[in-house]
Amino acid sequence: MEEIRKVQKRYCSIAITFAIFAGIIFFLFGLKPIGKGLILGTIFSIINFILMGETLPLKIGISRNRAGVYSFLSILSRYALLAIPLVLSIKLARFNIGATVCGLFMVQLVILTDEILHQFYFSNRKDLFFKPKKNRTKKLLWKN
Amino acid sequence: MTDDIQVWVKVAAFIGGGMAMGFGAIGAAIGEGYTAAKANEAIARSPQISGDLFKTMLLGQAIAETASIFALIIAMLLLFADFSNVSTLTISIFLSSGLCMGLGAIGSGIGSGLPTGEACTGIVRQPGMKNRITTIMLAGSAIAQSPAIFALVTSLILLFVDFTGRPVSPTWAAIIGAGFASGLGAIGSGIGEGLVAKSGCEGIARQPLAATRTTNVMLLGMAVTETTAIYGLLIACILIFKSFPAAESIASSMALLGAGLCMGIGAIGPGIGEGFTAQSAVKWISRSESSTAQLTRSMLVGQAVAESTGIYALVISLVLIFVI
Repeated sequence: MEEIRKVQKRYCSIAITFAIFAGIIFFLFGLKPIGKGLILGTIFSIINFILMGETLPLKIGISRNRAGVYSFLSILSRYALLAIPLVLSIKLARFNIGATVCGLFMVQLVILTDEILHQFYFSNRKDLFFKPKKNRTKKLLWKN
Repeated sequence: MTDDIQVWVKVAAFIGGGMAMGFGAIGAAIGEGYTAAKANEAIARSPQISGDLFKTMLLGQAIAETASIFALIIAMLLLFADFSNVSTLTISIFLSSGLCMGLGAIGSGIGSGLPTGEACTGIVRQPGMKNRITTIMLAGSAIAQSPAIFALVTSLILLFVDFTGRPVSPTWAAIIGAGFASGLGAIGSGIGEGLVAKSGCEGIARQPLAATRTTNVMLLGMAVTETTAIYGLLIACILIFKSFPAAESIASSMALLGAGLCMGIGAIGPGIGEGFTAQSAVKWISRSESSTAQLTRSMLVGQAVAESTGIYALVISLVLIFVI
């Protein structure tokens, strides 16, 4: 669980920081509905991601029938939750629907961007698309 | 009469919304279930790294769920659409949009779950490679989402393009045909790309020294596998943007509907078949790195042959649109 919380904390904090930063820029340019929609979508994207992580151990450590019930309730509740910002942005003019949709995918975008940036800029794992160095491969842990 | 149309448009919006979310949930649920099953196996084999496995599973499921969130968005747009300014064509637009997104999310949902499941198995096999396996898993899952993105684009185009001034017959059939072409066309490619990405994760876990070649061939295989979904998108765009002359006979409407169905159904098999071909090539590169050139060549030839049936479907669709 500690590992999951660390991952959630990392991605969620990046996602909300980016959304607030982008939202402020939109506010400054007078595009308030876009800024509000982006922040609204991101908040619900984060709640969805946290709920997903919280329910994962529940699905694995229990009997099959109970895991099925938990999974169904988890999916039902998370999709109902994701519908809230969409309904709000469709009904209320102060939230831009396109920005809300972008916000709903903020966590996924952060996960992918973070992996790509780490692969190419922030780590020594640059050998993904290039020949691996011989001395590095010796350190790999071989199990099978 | 206007009231009747409004009622039928509402009916179409509700059915379309139901189909979008109903069909859209199928793929993501299967993909996530497969991931959880593989994670169970992995945790049973190595309980001491369950934290890493949970993390991989969480990231993979977050990406795999994207296709069904697309479906949710289209469903909500349909359920809360503006019903004040509608025409007879709006009925087919709403039905087609929902159908397109629902069907289009099936393949990507299943496909995205496959690399995540294999990544869990791979991390147990090679804990030292967990970062690279996770990266390949995320890249594979994200690329496998592209057919669902094509379906989303088609659904949005259908909802936001102005069809005013077009004759009801045969435009209604062209609109429904577009939904089938893009929606059904995305199923095979989504599953096929997932198979290739799954093999990529397996290959890197089996032989880390061949990671570069495995990744490159995986990306090449996924790119070729995606072509049939692009054919579906192409036919859908032609059906949406081409103006067809008014026709009293139902034959021309059926020709356009047939074109969409032909391309959609015709793309399912090649998408999955090309996925099998690339899956095998990527899998065996990790076991026989020196044969990479031969394996890549044989993969491309195999994919080209499997692709031919998709090209036949494309040709027949174009004949139905432009000749008949």
